[in-house]
Amino acid sequence: MIWIAIRMLTGDPQKFFGLVFGIAFSTLLITQQLTIFVNLLNLGAAGVYNNGNGEVFVMDPASVTTDVTYPMPSTALDAVRSVEGVDWAVPQLRSAAAVRTAQGDLEQVVIVGVDDATLTGMPKRLVEGDKSDLRTPDTVMVDDVGATRMFPGLDPMGQVLELNDQRVVIGGITDTVPGFASTAVFYTTYSRALRYIPGTRNRMSLVIAQPVAGITPSQLVDKIEAETGLKGRTREEFTRDGIDFIIANTGIPFNFGITVALGFVVGVAIVGLTFSLFIRDNIKQFGALKAIGVTNRQIRKMVAAQAGLVGFIGYGFGVLATVGTMWAFSSNPFFKGFFVPWQVPLISLAAVIVILALTALLALRTVFNTEPAAVFR
Amino acid sequence: MAIDIRNLSFSRQILPAIAVVGLVLAAIFILTGQPDREVDEPDTSPPSVPGSLANEARVAGSGVVEPSSELVQVGSALSGLVTGLYVQPGDRVSEGQTLFTVDDRQARAQLREAEAAIGEARAAIAEAQSAQATASSQLALYRNVSDPAAVSRSEVIRAEGEARAAGERLQLARARLSAAQARASSARTEVGRLTITAPIAGEILAVNIRKGEYVSTMGGGGSQPFIEMGQTQPMHVRIDIDEQQAPRLALGKPATVSPRGAAEQQVEAAFVRAEPLVVPKRSLTNSAAERVDVRVLQVIYELPASAVGENGTFRVGQQVDAFIPAKKGQ
Repeated sequence: MIWIAIRMLTGDPQKFFGLVFGIAFSTLLITQQLTIFVNLLNLGAAGVYNNGNGEVFVMDPASVTTDVTYPMPSTALDAVRSVEGVDWAVPQLRSAAAVRTAQGDLEQVVIVGVDDATLTGMPKRLVEGDKSDLRTPDTVMVDDVGATRMFPGLDPMGQVLELNDQRVVIGGITDTVPGFASTAVFYTTYSRALRYIPGTRNRMSLVIAQPVAGITPSQLVDKIEAETGLKGRTREEFTRDGIDFIIANTGIPFNFGITVALGFVVGVAIVGLTFSLFIRDNIKQFGALKAIGVTNRQIRKMVAAQAGLVGFIGYGFGVLATVGTMWAFSSNPFFKGFFVPWQVPLISLAAVIVILALTALLALRTVFNTEPAAVFR
Repeated sequence: MAIDIRNLSFSRQILPAIAVVGLVLAAIFILTGQPDREVDEPDTSPPSVPGSLANEARVAGSGVVEPSSELVQVGSALSGLVTGLYVQPGDRVSEGQTLFTVDDRQARAQLREAEAAIGEARAAIAEAQSAQATASSQLALYRNVSDPAAVSRSEVIRAEGEARAAGERLQLARARLSAAQARASSARTEVGRLTITAPIAGEILAVNIRKGEYVSTMGGGGSQPFIEMGQTQPMHVRIDIDEQQAPRLALGKPATVSPRGAAEQQVEAAFVRAEPLVVPKRSLTNSAAERVDVRVLQVIYELPASAVGENGTFRVGQQVDAFIPAKKGQ
């Protein structure tokens, strides 16, 4: 009986391919747009992701994200180190600066100063160079995307720049996620960052801390907030803060929400219309089946099998196409660090099931009302 | 349902197969493409609390290693060219040992001048003494003449005057001698001041002058001190404690100190004293535009002898991180 349903479905290739295409297209639309959406929001938390060490971030209560910070006095580091349950704590400086390239152009960059003694807070991986190269005088490390943007067609290693009247040499390239503002990021030591950034009185943007074994990051955050009056964030909370900042300050969630909703509407429209047309066209066959004694229950199973096959093939192609586009664009620096979160295909799978269930139910209503006599009309 | 190659349907068999393969490929791509968000251990461990303090109330601070005498920046009382340098960095000197000498030719010339003046004054004394002796014996001769008509009155007056004048000349010559002696002794002091000696026993830490350079009383080039020295046995660390943390500090308890960049080399340092004056925090960033409104309490701790010296971890001027127990219940 199921086999008859499948043959019925594939009997008319045009309608079949139309259905598959509709499902594939809406899967592609939903999956791909959700992926880009999630990745764009993730850019807001790039500063946290690129920070390779430490579970807790401590900042002034006025600070919001890694790049919207209100600097603290240098003794805040000692205050954090004094809190029970802190294993270690290191300073970090993050600030914007203007760099002059060898060609004389001015570029906005973000300077990240990591702890001099231990280089804690550097990104985990480097494309070129070694973390200890930062101890060479005047050396900074640039992020890979920023490097391609600042030195198009050149080898960034060894390029000499000018920062706040001081010489800077590129001594390494980090493997990092670009930030939302997509300015180049220079990693250097804390003391050198102080020199590169024209001075305000307080300079330290963040303190990165690690709890001792047996204390969770959120417990440590509570202790730090209670004892120092500073604001503490766990890695997860700080990631969330970065994302929330993007949501609150840009139109991205709204615009992408519209696109995802459109994908859903297009899917419902194409698939719903084609599927209900297909069932309507086959109403005679269903009538004949009913005439030979097939129950509504069996017909429901048949339609479910048809919907399942169409949905499966369409979904498979849609996801494949999404992955294909992501793969094709992966060499583009704009898409650096983009990935397909595993939840997204599941969401689009749910959307496909909802679309098909909705249209199948609507179409079935007419089938159930069909009398076997319809064969003869 | 056996698959018959002649009866193979594109829609019914090949498409679902492609879809399955596509889904598998996509799953592999997605699962391998998930970003690595694991947190790393730092390559070099940052200064961390010693085990005994990990879950205890404590106060953290940073500071600088200094000699127990504090840093003595040896200056020069007089200006001039350096003619001799007798120490080099690392030397241990005793109190009063010569460090360097400044050109003393002028002072010595003045000394010789004064010495010549002493000789001259002595000669003048001798001359005045003999003149006085002549005058007084002449006066005595006239006085002893019994016949008043034999010596005129005016002769006697003249002889009396000569004897008085000779006495005054002797006094003058004596005064000249003591003036010349005083000059000589002041010239000797000057020569002495041109030899700069060690004010305390200790170790020479830096020598910023060379033979032939000009030292002025205003300090050296770039306002560098000429010679820096200090008592490095024992060695102290000066820990800055944020004024907000200062009341929590358990004064008298030993501190756990580690040098920057070698956090695992922790040593226990004994409490020496807390400075009575709370001072503005001096950041060691060497930035000229440094302005601070944070004040710190400075607490001095003594480093154990094993951690200092030739093969020790701590050297004068090095930055350190310290953890000190806090008062109970705070």
